[in-house]
Amino acid sequence: MKIVVLVKEVPDMESKFKIIDGAKIDESQIAFKMNDFDAYAVEAALQLKEKFGGEVIIISAGPDRVTKEVRQAFAMGADWGIHVNDPQIDAGDNFVVSSALVKAIESLGGADLIMTGVQSEDYQASLTGVVIADMLGLAHCTNVVKIDVAADQKTLTINRELEGGLNEVLEMSAPAVLTIQSGINEPRYPTLPGIMKAKKKRLDVKKAADLGVAELGEAGSKTKFIKMFFPVSDHKAEIIEGDAKTAAKTLVDKLKNEAKVI
Amino acid sequence: MARIVLIAEQRNGKLSEATLELCKAAKEIASMVGATPAAAVFYKDDSIAKEVAQYIPEVFSVVDAKLESFSADLYAQAVKAVVESQDVKGVLIPHSYDGVDYAAKAALAIGAGIVSNCNKVAFEGGALVFTRNTYNGKIQEQKSVKTDKFVATFEKGAFDKEAAGAAGSVTAVSASLGDSKRKIKEVIATMAGSVDISQAKIIVSGGRGTKEKDKYNDIIVSLAKKLGGEYAASRPVVDAGWTDAARQVGQSGKTVAPALYLAAGISGAIQHVAGMKGSQCIVAINKDPEAPIFNIATYGIVGDLFEVIPAIMEALG
Repeated sequence: MKIVVLVKEVPDMESKFKIIDGAKIDESQIAFKMNDFDAYAVEAALQLKEKFGGEVIIISAGPDRVTKEVRQAFAMGADWGIHVNDPQIDAGDNFVVSSALVKAIESLGGADLIMTGVQSEDYQASLTGVVIADMLGLAHCTNVVKIDVAADQKTLTINRELEGGLNEVLEMSAPAVLTIQSGINEPRYPTLPGIMKAKKKRLDVKKAADLGVAELGEAGSKTKFIKMFFPVSDHKAEIIEGDAKTAAKTLVDKLKNEAKVI
Repeated sequence: MARIVLIAEQRNGKLSEATLELCKAAKEIASMVGATPAAAVFYKDDSIAKEVAQYIPEVFSVVDAKLESFSADLYAQAVKAVVESQDVKGVLIPHSYDGVDYAAKAALAIGAGIVSNCNKVAFEGGALVFTRNTYNGKIQEQKSVKTDKFVATFEKGAFDKEAAGAAGSVTAVSASLGDSKRKIKEVIATMAGSVDISQAKIIVSGGRGTKEKDKYNDIIVSLAKKLGGEYAASRPVVDAGWTDAARQVGQSGKTVAPALYLAAGISGAIQHVAGMKGSQCIVAINKDPEAPIFNIATYGIVGDLFEVIPAIMEALG
């Protein structure tokens, strides 16, 4: 099977975030990593490759530093990749970035399966997979927690996660776009030989002009970013101060005598 | 007059709570922009459309046997049929499992920009401004839409549920629906298990911050037992296989409302909070003072759970 996995780089969510001019986060103090949900997608693709053969191609959009995440996917076992590296694309909204990713997929002559995470940890939009499927005219399924590919490599039996511990079991045909939910598998750690091999794997760099992307930057976007800020909550927990021992004692006292819940 | 139309959501013929929240949203947004609020219902008959009409003055009903169960393809087509036949300015969709499965497709079908996972909306300088959570809830951003029409998805709880009122009108809208690219075989329960944490009076819940299975057992399970309660977990703990899916609290797991919910090493992502915010007393223990869990907790301790929880055990005697 020819499987494309769309991987995004995101900040480590435990970072201490700083916002510059209400417009962007200060990236100088931030550690970046592969979007968790995408790591599950990479693993799902590798498992299918192990079963059916074929290749796993990573596509990622972002600045120079995202090669780290692409190489990580290579070290896990992906074969090669495309790095869509153009600030004009990065400056666009989801519609712009998705349009560029679609062009990159089309440049491969399509794929049997296209997988990506359910959402990115930073934008939390859950749009990309569905937008790409629609632009490519393909079937899609979001929140995938189980994939079963029949011997014909066409018939897919998919579990789609629903609220409250339910799964919808459905059947569809490849080619298709699947957005992968966390917990579907256990993403492998890169091995040392894997890391060595990853350095030599092919990574094509493409700019908007190479891909023929017409929609660029803010002008090509359908939405407009206004500002970002730290949430102001009208409720804040009563923070219990002191070292662990003191705080624990105070807490137990409050739970017994104030909240009366223990 | 232009309309703000929410798309109703049902499973097995039962209307979702999110639908009633969006009835409220449609009314608020409509009054901001000088439009009228309406709903669209896609189902095998007009029974649900009539039900929704108790909450909103105008309901568009697309009836087709194919719409008995949810289909992303057919929902996107039905949205298009409603938008093309009526004067629609904005479409509101729940940011739910079904919602995220078709909202972007519907937006592309009607050529609208989409802002997803919103929790607030305001009207400023002649434009609707949508507020949404980003960066795991640590940062919020505001966006607007540049296109003529818009699609917005709202997270659960963004609006109160609308109360039933005088019955509105139901208007049939015809749509020639194609076929769904997916075929539903069955819906299964994946969390069947012996334990029912939703009945517990005290729940001690551990998250990613519990670090590993043995530590989760040591710390979270021990404290739960000491307090005579049940132990539970946020999604990453279940994903990692440290405890059973039946103990997962949140949107994709159980909804609980115990007298005491102690959340340790849980950041408080909206998906988790959705499953426990009704708890009477919430205690949050987290080393990150900016963790969103502190915004809903009654009491908070900023610190290392591996020090704080043993100290709590000791204080309990």
